[in-house]
Amino acid sequence: MDQILSSLPALIVLVAFLAILAYAGIRVGPQFLIRRIAGLVFVLLGVTFIVFILGYFSPGTAIDGLCGQHCTLQNLANLQHVYGLDLPWYKQYGNFLSDLLHFNLGLSFQQRGQTVLSILGSGIPLSASVGLPAVILQVLIGVPLGILAAVRAGSRVFDTSNMSVSLILLALPTFVVIPFYQLLMVFLSLHNLPSGPISYSGALTDLIAPIILLALAGMGYFARLTRTTMLDVLNQDYVRTARAKGLTERVVIYRHAFRNALNPLVTAIGPSLAFIVGGAFFTEFLFNIPGIGLAAVNSISAKDMPTVQGTTIIVALAVVVMNLVVDLVYGLLDPRVKVA
Amino acid sequence: MEIVNTPKADEQSVQHLPDKATIGATVPTTEELFEAAEGVSISPTRAAIRRFMRDRRAVICSGILAFIIIFSFIFPLIYQHLGPTYLGGVTGKETIMPQDYHNPTWGELEQSDVAGTFLPLGPDSLKYPLGTDTTGHDIFAGLMAGVNVSIEVAILVEIVDIGLGVLLGTLAAWYGGWLGAVLDRFTDIMFAFPGLLLILLIAATLGPQFDMVFHTSLLGRILLLTFAIGLLAWPLMMRYVRGQSLLLKEQQYVEAARTVGTPNIRIIWRHLVPNLLNVVVVAATLDILTTIIGEAGISFLGAGIRPPNTSLGLMISNAANKLETNWTEMLWPCVVLVVLVLSFSFIGDGVRDAFDPRTKD
Repeated sequence: MDQILSSLPALIVLVAFLAILAYAGIRVGPQFLIRRIAGLVFVLLGVTFIVFILGYFSPGTAIDGLCGQHCTLQNLANLQHVYGLDLPWYKQYGNFLSDLLHFNLGLSFQQRGQTVLSILGSGIPLSASVGLPAVILQVLIGVPLGILAAVRAGSRVFDTSNMSVSLILLALPTFVVIPFYQLLMVFLSLHNLPSGPISYSGALTDLIAPIILLALAGMGYFARLTRTTMLDVLNQDYVRTARAKGLTERVVIYRHAFRNALNPLVTAIGPSLAFIVGGAFFTEFLFNIPGIGLAAVNSISAKDMPTVQGTTIIVALAVVVMNLVVDLVYGLLDPRVKVA
Repeated sequence: MEIVNTPKADEQSVQHLPDKATIGATVPTTEELFEAAEGVSISPTRAAIRRFMRDRRAVICSGILAFIIIFSFIFPLIYQHLGPTYLGGVTGKETIMPQDYHNPTWGELEQSDVAGTFLPLGPDSLKYPLGTDTTGHDIFAGLMAGVNVSIEVAILVEIVDIGLGVLLGTLAAWYGGWLGAVLDRFTDIMFAFPGLLLILLIAATLGPQFDMVFHTSLLGRILLLTFAIGLLAWPLMMRYVRGQSLLLKEQQYVEAARTVGTPNIRIIWRHLVPNLLNVVVVAATLDILTTIIGEAGISFLGAGIRPPNTSLGLMISNAANKLETNWTEMLWPCVVLVVLVLSFSFIGDGVRDAFDPRTKD
């Protein structure tokens, strides 16, 4: 039951994304879709190649560690043969690709006997349950703040100070904000005041703080972006016409101005969505959440090449696919962008 | 959400049609104001610098930043000679001089977790002004060394970034064709990776190689970070430069230069590059911000600057586990990093408003 509950966000995202893909694909036309998917495949090939090259050239892989103390040349050669490391590079790349297509990401060097896929499988739902609420929070709070700042442009409370706070939030890196939060929690607990947990201990409520902290930077970014685009739009002639026609402010703002300001926003949401799968490294590292980000960081320092390659490919795949979805939604929103 | 105070159209300007159509209010630009006052015209760059000077927040942050940078490069030389000499060391009887313990790489284990000695003011004030960390390293010296490293990496990355970006961007825009297409595909692939992950990968994978070549010195690690961060920074710069160059290419002075028979390289160098200043300066300031955060992040994860050298990220990471015992160890590097980052972001805002005032209000 717990398993299903923790992978529910991931399932929701998957179903929603497939639905958008299908709908947009039908609306926008097969030619657009085919061209975009061809681009996606090309980029994925490039990504897998780069990842493979990094693995191929990395010195001193964990094979040497696996070999153990009484390592003879023969043992080393056997290990290399088992892991397929003594083939020429193009054959290794071919094997790599065909394995990928069979969803076989290999065995982890570091955690004996565990497939990379199972590591990813246990990590993705947790990263998604941190990333998805964070993105939702960013959009739900950041965008209205930006609209408010644009509509009341120039006012000290709603515009200038709002945007200063947003700039501060967006500039602060997570690995600075989170230690401050943990400092605060330690301080509070030392003085017997109510405080929150500073690391993940298995309960889902522990994730509330990471989600909010992760969302802070994005909120600032979306607020500023929305303000800029809304200001651009609000100065256009058709907004003036809409007002002259006697429409209420609310209709003018939302139906005319905001619809047109939506385009750059949608483009900006794309990379944020990739965070859902990619995992936020620092948040997971500092809060000890065993998601994809932590797996990537730990495997990089442990030189566990298959896991590194697996996580990188998954994250790159997420970014590329989210960009595709964003492109399609773009085509949906703006009928001028038919076959771009 | 109440939306009431929107700027409404002026009664006067709506009721009668003016003879000449004025599309949008025209506020006199800085150049026009200057010309009206002084009688001579100024270049757009000078006008942009004037606009920057009027942004109080950006000027204050530039001042703070300049102070911090100059301080952290010059003060260590004086700091080596300030402070009391005391007995310590492994045996407890060796004389430790300020030259030793004010060195960021010197860890005096007997003096671990010392609280800041600056207050109360006294003869011992300058011993360990901000205290030491759990391995006896002086925090103040570490902060200055960390700022040095951040600035050095930022400068090097900017050189690579601007150099490569401008070079390839102008070439791609001028010669077009397959070069542009190839670079486009390549940048698409680079953009598919989340930046930090790729930088981490490169830094962790190539780290040992750089260490071998440079004998585990600070220079090797700085070059490693420059390579890794620069590799991800130049595609974006190239895109901006290429976009702007494509616009500039259609200008009449370029056409005139071609008609006269100026060689292509000369046109690019004398006409395109100076006019790219706007775009390049704004993009470079944002890149510096990303570089500082990136370098701190990579050092935080252990793949960048390594002991015995220090970096702000490394100091934060060392302190993260010892929050309950020594919280000042975490406080000072975070404060310095936050001040650096915020200064650069406010300056970046000011620069962007100065060079492209249309997007301001």
